[in-house]
Amino acid sequence: MSGTAAPVERRTTVRWPVSAIVALLLPLVLVWSSSAQAYSFPELAGRVTDAAGVLDPAIRAQLEAQLAAQEQKTSDQVVVATVPSLEGGAVEDYANALFREWRIGQAEKNNGVLLLVAPHEHQVRIEVGYGLEGILTDAVTSTIIRTAIVPAFKAGDLAGGIQKGTDAILEVLNLDPEEARARAAAAEPEMTQEDWLGLLFLVLAVAFLAYLFWRRMRNGGSGGPRSGRRRAGEAAVPVTTWSWGSDSDSDRWSGGGGSSGGGGASGNW
Amino acid sequence: MGGSFAARLSGWRVPLFAMMVSLLLAGCGVNAIPSSEEHAKAMWSEVLNQYQRRSDLIPNLVETVKGYAAQERDVLTSVIEARAKATAVTVDASTITDPEKFKQFQAAQAELGRALGRLIAVSEAYPDLKSSQNFLALQSQIEGTENRIAVARRDYIRAVQVYNTELKTFPGVFWASTFYRSYQPMETFTITDEQKQVPKVKFN
Repeated sequence: MSGTAAPVERRTTVRWPVSAIVALLLPLVLVWSSSAQAYSFPELAGRVTDAAGVLDPAIRAQLEAQLAAQEQKTSDQVVVATVPSLEGGAVEDYANALFREWRIGQAEKNNGVLLLVAPHEHQVRIEVGYGLEGILTDAVTSTIIRTAIVPAFKAGDLAGGIQKGTDAILEVLNLDPEEARARAAAAEPEMTQEDWLGLLFLVLAVAFLAYLFWRRMRNGGSGGPRSGRRRAGEAAVPVTTWSWGSDSDSDRWSGGGGSSGGGGASGNW
Repeated sequence: MGGSFAARLSGWRVPLFAMMVSLLLAGCGVNAIPSSEEHAKAMWSEVLNQYQRRSDLIPNLVETVKGYAAQERDVLTSVIEARAKATAVTVDASTITDPEKFKQFQAAQAELGRALGRLIAVSEAYPDLKSSQNFLALQSQIEGTENRIAVARRDYIRAVQVYNTELKTFPGVFWASTFYRSYQPMETFTITDEQKQVPKVKFN
């Protein structure tokens, strides 16, 4: 062993991975922030996000309950949103971007639906996730908009139109109970190959760290002040930077990671 | 100094060193070119898929319009011809990297889009056609498909931007000139073409 040089080298071997990791992560962060959408979307407040403020609290609560029951039953995530402005974009473009921003629907199933109403622009759209395009087809959503939503909107009854539209969407989703059950079953989280690999990697990493720890414990007893200092310094890094997911956020509803490819229909009044 | 390096690599530091090297290499983007190419290709097949879907809807639409507005023969035949021309353009793996082929594909689809737009515009003059259930269903499908095409094209443009940038910027440019010499930059839809090519089909 090269006696006197050891402490210096040890310090560098501990430090350079940290700077390297920072260097690796920095471009990623930059890429993420630069790919942000051009729209300034409202915050996802829940299954009913009334950013335009056109719904009474009682109606909102009732819709929320309906949509929650649907997700319970078939895992489909239906979201009703009203926005004060489309910010100059087409309703199709805005709805698709908002759908992807909120990640509506379960990640593997993409079974989300967004009913978007822009009262100011007099535009309405039902945006359908990839996984439901076969059930809520363009023709079906167009019919819902033409026959259930637009007549009420034309009469000035925004809340009534939204309610009728939501009822119709849920009705179509539940038309075939057998199919709905199959959809719910398929949405059950299942361990994919990727998950197994991730688990394996985690186990190996933990075992490796445990081994290192064991080595240090075994050597540590007879060690002088040098090894004692090292133990304190290295232990501080994993303990302080480790974060176990934020469980406190779990009561707030959020999208399941679904996406949409522009399915659905739009209308105006 | 060599001896001291070997000494440093003794014991448990060997696997650690190997892990760091592989991590560093992956961090250096040795995988970035193939993976972004795969992503762009997947987005391209979605574009093709949606154009195909539009093409599949056309015979039905033409038949329906014919039933109510047979006298609009010019418009009807122009749609049929444009569709035939668009299907005649062969699309293979080289289409996305060959500017000529890509331009050809884009032009044929643009022509079909224009012809379709004219057909829809003409249909406005026939109230019976406009209110027929069959036509309403078809028009919502065409509308939906045009929108899907727009989304698929946008996703493709973004994926190609990532891939082409990876090929031309460090560290990707280093890997492109060593490991991945056969990887070509991809063609993409231009903004002006996009505005020209996808006419906003609006039914009111």
